[in-house]
Amino acid sequence: MANLVIDNVIKRYGQTEVLKGINIAIEAGEFLILVGPSGCGKSTLMNSIAGLEEVTEGRILIDDKDVTYANPKDRDIAMVFQSYALYPNMTVEQNISFGLEMRKVPKEDRDIEVKRVAEMLQITHLLHRKPAQLSGGQRQRVAMGRALARRPQLYLFDEPLSNLDAKLRVEMRTEIKKLHQKLGTTIVYVTHDQIEAMTLADRIAVMKDGEVQQLGTPQEIYDNPANLFVAGFMGSPAMNFIPTKVVATDTGPMLELDAVQKTLLPFPNKACLESYVGKTIMLGLRPEMITEPQAHKDGQPFVITTEINVEVTEPMGADTMILTRVKENEINCRSHPAYPAKPGDNIKMMFDTSKAVAFDQETGVRLDV
Amino acid sequence: MSNIKAIRRKTTAIERLLRVALYLVLISVAAIYLLPFIVMLITSLKDVEEIRTGTLLSLPASLHFDSWSKAWSSACTGSTCDGISPFFLNSFQIVIPAVIISTVLGAINGYVISMWKFRGSDLFFAALLIGCFIPFQVILLPMARTLGWLGIANTTTGLVFVHVVYGVAFTTLFFRNFYQSVPGELVKAARLDGAGFFTIFYRIILPISTPIIVVTVIWQFTQIWNDFLFGVAFSGFDTQPVTVALNNLVNTSFGGKEYNVDMAAAIMAALPTLIVYVLAGKYFVRGLTAGAVKG
Amino acid sequence: MKTNAINAEPNKARAGRPARLTLADWMPKIVMAPTVIVTLVCMYGYMIWTAVLSMTNSRMLPSYDFVGLSQYERLFNNDRWIVALTNLGIFGGLFILICLVLGVILAIFLDQKIRSEGAIRTIYLYPMAISFIVTGTAWKWLLNPTNGFEKLMIDMGFTDFTFDWLVNPDKVVYCLVIAAVWQASGFVMALFLAGLRGVDGDLIKAAQLDGANTFTTYRRIILPSLKPVFFSAMVILSHIAIKSFDLVAALTNGGPGYSSDLPANFMYAHTFTRSQIGLGSASAMVMLGCVLAILVPYLYSELRGERNE
Repeated sequence: MANLVIDNVIKRYGQTEVLKGINIAIEAGEFLILVGPSGCGKSTLMNSIAGLEEVTEGRILIDDKDVTYANPKDRDIAMVFQSYALYPNMTVEQNISFGLEMRKVPKEDRDIEVKRVAEMLQITHLLHRKPAQLSGGQRQRVAMGRALARRPQLYLFDEPLSNLDAKLRVEMRTEIKKLHQKLGTTIVYVTHDQIEAMTLADRIAVMKDGEVQQLGTPQEIYDNPANLFVAGFMGSPAMNFIPTKVVATDTGPMLELDAVQKTLLPFPNKACLESYVGKTIMLGLRPEMITEPQAHKDGQPFVITTEINVEVTEPMGADTMILTRVKENEINCRSHPAYPAKPGDNIKMMFDTSKAVAFDQETGVRLDV
Repeated sequence: MSNIKAIRRKTTAIERLLRVALYLVLISVAAIYLLPFIVMLITSLKDVEEIRTGTLLSLPASLHFDSWSKAWSSACTGSTCDGISPFFLNSFQIVIPAVIISTVLGAINGYVISMWKFRGSDLFFAALLIGCFIPFQVILLPMARTLGWLGIANTTTGLVFVHVVYGVAFTTLFFRNFYQSVPGELVKAARLDGAGFFTIFYRIILPISTPIIVVTVIWQFTQIWNDFLFGVAFSGFDTQPVTVALNNLVNTSFGGKEYNVDMAAAIMAALPTLIVYVLAGKYFVRGLTAGAVKG
Repeated sequence: MKTNAINAEPNKARAGRPARLTLADWMPKIVMAPTVIVTLVCMYGYMIWTAVLSMTNSRMLPSYDFVGLSQYERLFNNDRWIVALTNLGIFGGLFILICLVLGVILAIFLDQKIRSEGAIRTIYLYPMAISFIVTGTAWKWLLNPTNGFEKLMIDMGFTDFTFDWLVNPDKVVYCLVIAAVWQASGFVMALFLAGLRGVDGDLIKAAQLDGANTFTTYRRIILPSLKPVFFSAMVILSHIAIKSFDLVAALTNGGPGYSSDLPANFMYAHTFTRSQIGLGSASAMVMLGCVLAILVPYLYSELRGERNE
């Protein structure tokens, strides 16, 4: 297994800069996920690592060797594609062994390797079929088998689960995680699905407009988003953003949830709000921070109970999403399914701002760090 | 209730009538399209006397195959009287190498243009595309001079060259459009697996190209076999393709006109492409409509 | 612009950077080179060569005494050329019009879930597989006044029936139209049928739910969506018409006199048999002009459409 260093990589197509100086260092055996909306440059970065596209500036190091200008085949990388890219004219067996054949591995060794990989992925019974005779999930397995057979230093996954239906996607997700734990391989994985990113990654790099917005563990990114974009992108349902006015009180600055009821929310990091008194900031509250009143939390600091008006309820089984409105902003709250809430009702909800985050309304920069 | 039923019965009756009319129209049009070929066949089987006295559609009293053997081996085509058989062979000598070479070139070009783009490859493709449409009259004389310089004027080699040069635009177009629908990830995967330019072409792209190879071969075969302009402009007396020989045979007037021999020769000249059409009509149509209908 | 290809541009050697200009990087260009050279020389080079020749007084052999545009002046004062051009107008116009109308009608008829559609389609299209020389030979026999249709009708009892278009200088061009329509209308039918099959089925269902009958559905919904097919067919047909040479050679040989000449035959005759290379080249350039006049707007709209996709 090898480490990977992406050192100030810039990629331009003519005038447009697709990658604007990417810096990422990945440990050997680490599972890194590149996530971001389409057009953020994550696929370009992936192709640059593979050597399928050439970078304009910067360096790429695999296992401490500079491979910036090496041919794809000399980088010892395997890639799993979104469309699987299985060779349609070859059987599963030939697909898996093609890379070994190109590297002049003797036939006997290839057969042993194919057998090993097929058993690991439970596709032994499919070895003599052509890709067209396989289901989506089976193709996905074969594509992974093709990558595994070569035992490369680095695996690249380019949205490998996007073409699967929801149920299979969850299954394969677990499968990939198991494989990673078993083999300890270094993986760079591109996805636009933030649940995939959260569940699989050791670390996540959130990208937008050719720049890494934040690089960190899933929990870091969830709890401590670096900016408004990351906060809005990660998490489902998304974080609630409420423009709130900072007002001065005896106990320091507080946040005025709405002008009519004058509900004041406390905020952990008071210091950062001082300079915003009288101005409006963007308060970020995850849905699980607004719940039905919970007795054990009563009286804790940063917990406030107030009345809201229910617009829509969405029962999800484990909990029920309650949609309400503060000023013009729709707000998602996560409540216990047993908590009575009907559209039109005014009900009591508990706001817990101990982990709330605040952003500058214009720049989207995080304030409380 | 009964009212609705009545209306329904009435419309079905009209519809049935319309359908009968539709079939009648379609079948009579088919008959009109078939007629010239049937007349050719009938005429070729009559003797000269029957042709003079009978009409187009009167059937021969007995089948005469002499016109067929005469057309094949002893009818006069301009200066010689060996029938069209030598020219039939000429056509094959021109068609086979020209089809193979232009198809191979088209496949490689299409592969490069859609999978290995380089600066200017798109521009070149556009230039090639326009080449599909230029009237060959603008290149006729310069090409005649070039063939002379190359020392292949009036030879089948020269005709093979010409057909390859002006066929490659079409073959490239066919292959390029086909490869455009092949996912580029296939080539990426193969490159990561360590395969090079030719290995990818030979091991991965070519094996999935069978349908387009068939379309291209049929298209090129039909085009080159049916060519007259290049044949008449660039061939010598003994290297004429069959279309040129047929035209000479029909326009040679020694004594009485032998329409039965003309028709037999015409059917023979049409037979190779007709056989291909009947056997592989699906691919022939696909070639015809390629590029004309998008998607 | 969307592309599914890999950027294979080899790395330009830059100061301090390892260049990797290996043979493999050059391979795509190397294998394309023969076609590129041949295309540039044998298409565009020859085009220019002919253009140059059209401005010289070349007769039996090419010469390079430039005479400006006087060959074009001669050309448009040449009665035979004017006849050829007029013929092209009549032949091309009728040929395209009839083929389109016939093609659309047959395609719609065949689209009505016809039993043995395949067989009927095969019959409509088979003339397209045949050489124009064979077509010309066959129709020469069919249209021949002494033994052809005329005799058939007379023997059937229509004793006053005359059908002498093939030998009538004013009508002979219509014989070309008949034979060419026979050959190419099936092709147009195939184009439109493919287009009809490509129309979104939901579109038709929606129209029927909106209360449109079959006729209205075709007229208002389906045919308008086939506009691109219509233009493609028109371009291909006009291209066939402009370069028509073999059909005339086989069916009429330009006769009677030169009353059925088309520009392609004029060009061939003057360049290769009448030792008027300059004049022949000028006529070839005019033909090229005709093709470009049709092709350029078509390609322009096609490319613009592709960019908008």
